[in-house]
Amino acid sequence: MDIFADLWMGLNIAVTPINLVYLLIGAMVGMVVGVIPGFGPSAGLAILLPVTFGMDPIGAVMMLAAIYYGAMYGGTITSILLNTPGESATVASTFDGFPLAKKGRAGPALVMQAVASFVGGTVGVILITLLAPAFAQVSRSFGPPEYFLLAMMGMLTLIVMIGENWKLGLLSALIGFALGTVGVDLETGQGRYTFGSAELIGGIYFIPIAIGLFGLGELYYAFYQGLHDKGSGSIIQYDKETRFWPEAQDWISTRMTMVRGSILGFFVGVIPGAGATIASLMAYSLERSVSKHPERFGKGEMAGLVAPETANNAASSGAMIPLLTLGIPGSASTAVLLAAFLLWGLRPGPLFMSQNPELAWGLIASMYLGNMALLAISIFAIPLFVKIIKIPYRVLAPAVIVVCTLGTFSVHGSIIETWLMFGAGIAGFFMRMYGFSPASLVLALVLGPLAEEALRQTMTISRGSFMIFVNRPASLWILGLTVFLIIIVPLMQRMGRRAGKAEKAGG
Amino acid sequence: MRIVFLLAVLVGGVFYSYIAFTDLPFLSRTGRLGPGFFPRIIGGLIVVLSILSIASEIRRRSVDEHDNDHARVVVLVMVLAGGYVASLSILGGILATFVFLLVSLSLLNPGRWVQNVIVSLVLPAFIYLLFDVLLNAAMPRGILNLPI
Repeated sequence: MDIFADLWMGLNIAVTPINLVYLLIGAMVGMVVGVIPGFGPSAGLAILLPVTFGMDPIGAVMMLAAIYYGAMYGGTITSILLNTPGESATVASTFDGFPLAKKGRAGPALVMQAVASFVGGTVGVILITLLAPAFAQVSRSFGPPEYFLLAMMGMLTLIVMIGENWKLGLLSALIGFALGTVGVDLETGQGRYTFGSAELIGGIYFIPIAIGLFGLGELYYAFYQGLHDKGSGSIIQYDKETRFWPEAQDWISTRMTMVRGSILGFFVGVIPGAGATIASLMAYSLERSVSKHPERFGKGEMAGLVAPETANNAASSGAMIPLLTLGIPGSASTAVLLAAFLLWGLRPGPLFMSQNPELAWGLIASMYLGNMALLAISIFAIPLFVKIIKIPYRVLAPAVIVVCTLGTFSVHGSIIETWLMFGAGIAGFFMRMYGFSPASLVLALVLGPLAEEALRQTMTISRGSFMIFVNRPASLWILGLTVFLIIIVPLMQRMGRRAGKAEKAGG
Repeated sequence: MRIVFLLAVLVGGVFYSYIAFTDLPFLSRTGRLGPGFFPRIIGGLIVVLSILSIASEIRRRSVDEHDNDHARVVVLVMVLAGGYVASLSILGGILATFVFLLVSLSLLNPGRWVQNVIVSLVLPAFIYLLFDVLLNAAMPRGILNLPI
């Protein structure tokens, strides 16, 4: 089959000593970013994107992707040992991960989460390998109306997931869209909101905004929550010698969990907007409902940790599908990844895989290797990560500020962009404090210009009639799917949360 | 305080819409959708949504609003970060980083001099190696124009 030929070619490209070093660095950095509270893949990607500028495209893309999926491995370590999820996608891992650690099974829990992440990640990459070419084939028939609807689908799904504060989430997205309109209008050449400033003609740069919102904004918010005052005394010690490795029972009881979690996670991940958080919550509630011992969930059941872990890793692979085959990111972190691709002059879309086979297959092949590396790192480097968890936040924070600031500066060597990042940091803090959604803003900032262009082209084709969205079969399908998601996603999420809450209450 | 933030968003939204409706044409000269089409929709929605949010905020006021004693630390960290950005163009990247780390660590992590001085020296050295030597990335040059 040509898939294997493609994959083999990809492997040959990915496996050079320097690329492997980049891959390992990316995996390590991703895990560290995942361990730091409040920092997820999007923050890690935005902050480290500038660092990759001196590298060649394939190495850079491999490293950035490794940061992206590596963060999913790291985020769970704090869920298990501290009961503090490193990011929203590992919230579900605290439900049973922390009780396991309290029962003295922290070692087996850490090993099983690494294995679960590996299985989820690897099944995800296998499914990418098999399905991405097919997705690219389908998306080749998509025109502007479909692109517009897909962009809206991701945006709306993300917003309905916010729940109670959806109005503020929508407002955040609209602010992102508004910022996205600054600069020269590509169709007419007219300047919009530039106020005669040369700096604004090219539009508002994405990287300073993303670093400000996800880096500094989250950092201020962590201070606001008093993270700098907390000691690391609550960290659970684990037994390195006698009870470190999982027992046979742990493997046997969770083997089907891994299969279910991976497949569910992957397909939830493919849906723009849904992503790893919802995938992990869904997998948790699915596992609880098929389990023979649902009463054990929340009290340290291994399947309750394995399910969300396989799902969130498979979902982050799944999210690569719309990114690679449509060029439409479904989450803030894939939006940053898209921005990285664009900076490298790569335009993901239906033709991306056939026009850049070396890069696309090199990236996919590297994900197999990256997951293996992460499995090894996350089992053998546990003591290192425990040390990182113990670094007090008040020492870590100034270092993070330095990296954010110098990282932003190095993109274009512009002190104005550095101030923009600083301003975005303050705005990000208030957004977090008042229930706005920085992730929606960043996604909208990337999707906005894309959506506007697609909408204007659509209206040109249809001569101003919105009926085009219903008259084209592909559009109608996407429209139907969007409506379905808007109804089903909040329901699924509530179910998952309720399952989690019931566990926490001990019932 | 959320209401102040929402009011700021509303003001921004009104300003954005004002420009969209006065300066940016809805249709282009060729009769296609023009540069004002998208901004008008967005601006309008921002105004409507922020008014709705302000309304619901007024209705459920007095419920929350408790002061957090960590707010002062947040302001301190913001001021430190701002000072750092400002000092970059005066002192240059490496020196500014050293000064920033020393000042902020001695304020946030007081009493642990040895640890603070070591971090303030090691991190800028590491950054210098990574950015300047290894990656050849741009580093702010101060007006002092030091060799590094």
